Amino acid sequence: MTANPRRWLRATFGALEAVCTRVFSPAWNPLVQLGAIGWFFYWVVAVSGVYLYVFFDTGITRAYDTVEALTHAQPWIGGVMRSLHRYASDGLVAVALVHLLREFAFARMKGKRWFGWITGLPVLMLIYVSGITGYWLVWDVLAQYVAVTTAELLDVLPLFGEPISRNFVNQVALSSRFFTLMSFIHIAAPLLLLLFMWIHIHRHAAARIQPARGLGVLVAGSLLGLAIVVPAVSQARANLDQVQATIGLDWFYLPLYPLVQQWGGATVWQLLGGMLLVLGLVPWLPRGTPAPVAKVNLLNCNGCGRCVADCPFGALSLEPRSDWQKYQAEAVVNADRCFSCGLCVGSCPTATPFRSASVFAAGIELPQLPLVTLREQLEKSCAPLAGGDRLVVFACEHAGTLGADLRRNAAVARMPCIGMLPPSFIDFVFSRRLADGVVIAGCGANSCYHRLGQRWTEQRIAGQRDPWLRARVPRERIALSWDADLGAFRKGLASLPVLRLGGRGASKPLPLPAGPRWPVPMRAIGIALLLGAMAGITGLLATSPGWRQLGQDEAVLQLSIRHATATKVECKPLTPQQMAELKPNMRRPVDCPRERWPVYLELERDGQLLYRGTHEPSGLWNDGAATVFRTFRIPAGPQSIVVRMRDSGRASGFDHVHSGTIDLEPGQNFVIEFRSGEGFTWH
Amino acid sequence: MTLIAWREDFTIGLPDVDYEHRELVSMINALLESLGPDTGVPQIVAALGEIHARIALHFALEERDMHQLHYAAAAEHKDDHERLLDDILDIIDTVESPLDYDPEALGDRLSRWFTGHFRTHDARLHRWLVGRS
Ligand code: HEM
Ligand code: SF4
Ligand code: SF4
Ligand SMILES: [Fe+2]
Ligand SMILES: [Fe+2]
Repeated sequence: MTANPRRWLRATFGALEAVCTRVFSPAWNPLVQLGAIGWFFYWVVAVSGVYLYVFFDTGITRAYDTVEALTHAQPWIGGVMRSLHRYASDGLVAVALVHLLREFAFARMKGKRWFGWITGLPVLMLIYVSGITGYWLVWDVLAQYVAVTTAELLDVLPLFGEPISRNFVNQVALSSRFFTLMSFIHIAAPLLLLLFMWIHIHRHAAARIQPARGLGVLVAGSLLGLAIVVPAVSQARANLDQVQATIGLDWFYLPLYPLVQQWGGATVWQLLGGMLLVLGLVPWLPRGTPAPVAKVNLLNCNGCGRCVADCPFGALSLEPRSDWQKYQAEAVVNADRCFSCGLCVGSCPTATPFRSASVFAAGIELPQLPLVTLREQLEKSCAPLAGGDRLVVFACEHAGTLGADLRRNAAVARMPCIGMLPPSFIDFVFSRRLADGVVIAGCGANSCYHRLGQRWTEQRIAGQRDPWLRARVPRERIALSWDADLGAFRKGLASLPVLRLGGRGASKPLPLPAGPRWPVPMRAIGIALLLGAMAGITGLLATSPGWRQLGQDEAVLQLSIRHATATKVECKPLTPQQMAELKPNMRRPVDCPRERWPVYLELERDGQLLYRGTHEPSGLWNDGAATVFRTFRIPAGPQSIVVRMRDSGRASGFDHVHSGTIDLEPGQNFVIEFRSGEGFTWH
Repeated sequence: MTLIAWREDFTIGLPDVDYEHRELVSMINALLESLGPDTGVPQIVAALGEIHARIALHFALEERDMHQLHYAAAAEHKDDHERLLDDILDIIDTVESPLDYDPEALGDRLSRWFTGHFRTHDARLHRWLVGRS
C-alpha cells in the first residue's frame, strides 16, 4: 500500500538531493542533514527565547506592551531576536516535516528500526505545543484567535469540568490564569522537547546534531536576512469584545486551526488522532522478514572494540569474556538493535581476504553474506574480465541499478551497506590483479541508508579511521560513486601507468580526490537562489495568506452560561427515628437530595430559532452547575434577540426570558450571560 | 632458519597483549620452521595471510589499551603498527611473485619485521606501564 507513494517520494528526494549536492557540494547539502539543521534552529530559538523572556511581562495586561516595546524600542536587538525566534521556530517545523518525509521515503524506520520514528512523534508534537503557546503570549488578535480556538478544541475533550472557553468570552471574564499557564507551558514544552530530541538520537552512534559549518553559516545568514527584511511584528492588540475578521496566520504552526471553525473541534481531534495513529503504525507496515543479525566469532575476536565504535545503531557492546581465551572482553550483538548493515564487519581487523584459503571468518560477520562467500564470488566474477580497464564494483544494496559504465567489463559485488567492505578487499583486488579499477557504489552523497557507511568508508580510505586502506593502493584507481565523475574515471583507467603496489615505504594513506564541482560563482548563485527561496517562503507562510474567520458584515454572538439550578427535591428534616436508622457516619438532621434540574435554553434571532438545547447539571450526582457555551456567527446590524430558559423542571413555559433589539457592529462580540440572582444580562 | 626466541622483555604487562605476543611468536616460528626450498607458495601465502590477520587484530587491541590508558606515545606507536601492516602485505606480494621468492631472505625479513617493533615500541610501552605503577 505504501510502496508507490514511497517510491515516488524517494525518487523526488533523490532528484532534489542530486541538485543540492551539485549546488551546495556534498558536505553542505542541507537535505542530508535536516536533523542537524533542526538542532541548529532549536538552539537559535532557545537563545533568542531567553533574550525575549528577559523583557517579557507574563501578566496578560502588560504582555502586549512589553512585546511591542521590545520590537520597536530596540529594533536592532530585540526586534531581530524576536524575528529570529519566530522564523527559527518556523524553520524547525519545516525541517521536522521534510525530515519526517525523507526518513519515510528512504524507509529508515522499518521494523526493528522503529525507535527513531516513534521518538520523532513526541518531538513533533512538542514543537507544535511550544509554537502554539508561543503565539498565545503576544496577546494580539492572533493570540486571541489561538486562545479562543484552542479553548474550543480543548473543550471537546473531557478534561475540564466546565468549558474553558468561558475564560475568553469577553474582556471582563479574562483573567491571567490561563495566560500564566501558557507562559509556563511555553517554557516547559521546549525543555521537554530538548529531552525528547536527545532521546530521539540517543541510539545513534555519532549522530549528526551540528550542520556542516559552512552550511550553518549560510542558514544563520538567511535567517538573519529574513529577520531584518521582514521583521516579525505583532498584530492589533487583543480585545475579546471584538472579533477581527481577518488575521494573519502562521501556517507552519496553525494549519489545522481554520478547520476547527470549519468542521468543529471533534472532527479535528479525530483527524489528528487518525494521523497520529497512522504515523505510529508506519514502522510496522508490511515488510519482508528481517535479515539475520551480525554474529560474533569468538576465535577471531579479541575485544578490540572497533566494531563497537563503528556500529551506527549502538547494537554492539564489549562484555566480559565468555570463553576460555585469555582476553578480557568480547563483542556482543544486541539482536533487537542490529539492522544487519555489516558496518561492524568492515571494521574488524580479522576481516581480510588475504587469509588462508577456503575457510576463514572475521571476528564478526553477517550470516547472510560471509566474507568467504564475498571473496569467492569476487574471484569468480573477475575471472572472465579482460583488457586494461577491468572493473570491480563494490555496491551496496541501496545503490540502485548501476549505469552502463559500471556494467561493462566489470564484476559487481553487492553487500547490505558499503561500510561493510573491509578496505583490505580493495587491496586484495589489486594485489591479486583481479581488476584495474575499483568503484565503490553507495547511496547519494551523505545519505547512506545505514547512516555511517559512506563516512566510515571515506575515513578508512583516508587513514582517518581503522582499518586503513593501505597507502600502497593507488588512489587514482578507486572512485566513489557518490563523489566522482564515473565516466571519466572509467575512460581513464586503461591509460593509467602500470599498476605497482608496495615500495611506498612509510607514506600515509591519502583521501580520494573530491569529485567534480560546479564553478564557485555558479554555486554561489544557486545557493543564494535556493536559500533565498526558502527564507522567502518561510517569511510568507509565517503570516499569510490571512485567514478570514468572519465575514465583513458579520458579528459574533456568544451564549455563555453557568447556572446552578434548584435541587429537584426540597430538603426536609429527618425524624429522630429516621436518623437512628442511618449508619452512624451518615446521620444528619436534614435530608437534602442533591440532584439539580437541567437547564433548557432557546435562542431566537429575528424570530428564527438559533439554538435550542437541554443541559444537565455537572457533577457525578448532577449536583453542580450546568454550563453552556456556544458561539454563533450572525449578520451585523439591528436585529431582535430573544433568549428563554427553563430551570425548574416545569413541563412547559419558561422561568427566565430576556428580549430586545440590538444593533451589532461588524466584528462585535456580543455575549449573553446569566446570573442566578439577576437573570439574563447581555452586552 | 633461526627461530624467534621468546624473551621476557616481550612481555609488557597487559595480560591480553602478552598472551597475543606469545601466540604471535609461535605462529611466526611455525611458519619459519616450515620454510624451505620446497615449501609451496600457496602454503606460505596462506600462513602469511593468517599472520597478517592476527597481527592486525593484535595491533587493534594494543591500540585500544594505549588509548584507554592515555599513553602519550600512542600515535607514534600506531604509526609503526601501520607501517608493519604495509610491510606484511608487501611481503605476501613478494612471495607470490616467483622471481622474488627466496626462503632464506624471507625468513630473515620476517623475524626482523616482527622483533624490531617488539624491541622498540612495545618495549617503550612496557617501560611506561612499569613507571606508572
Ligand atoms: C525538529 C525535530 C527533529 C530533529 C531535530 C531530528 C533530528 C534527527 C537527527 C539528528 C537524526 C539522526 C540523523 C543521523 O545522524 O543519521 C534523526 C534521525 C531520524 N529521525 Fe529525526 N528529528 C526530528 C524530528 C523527527 C520526526 C518528526 C520524525 C518522524 C516521526 C523523525 C524520524 C527520524 C527517523 C526515522 C530517523 C532515522 C532513525 C534511524 O536512522 O534509524 N525525526 N533525527
Ligand atoms: S572488531 Fe572484531 S575483534 Fe574487534 S571487538 Fe569487534 S568482532 Fe572483536
Ligand atoms: S550489522 Fe550493523 S547494526 Fe548490526 S551490529 Fe553490525 S554494525 Fe551494528
Ligand atoms: Fe605494538
Ligand atoms: Fe604488540
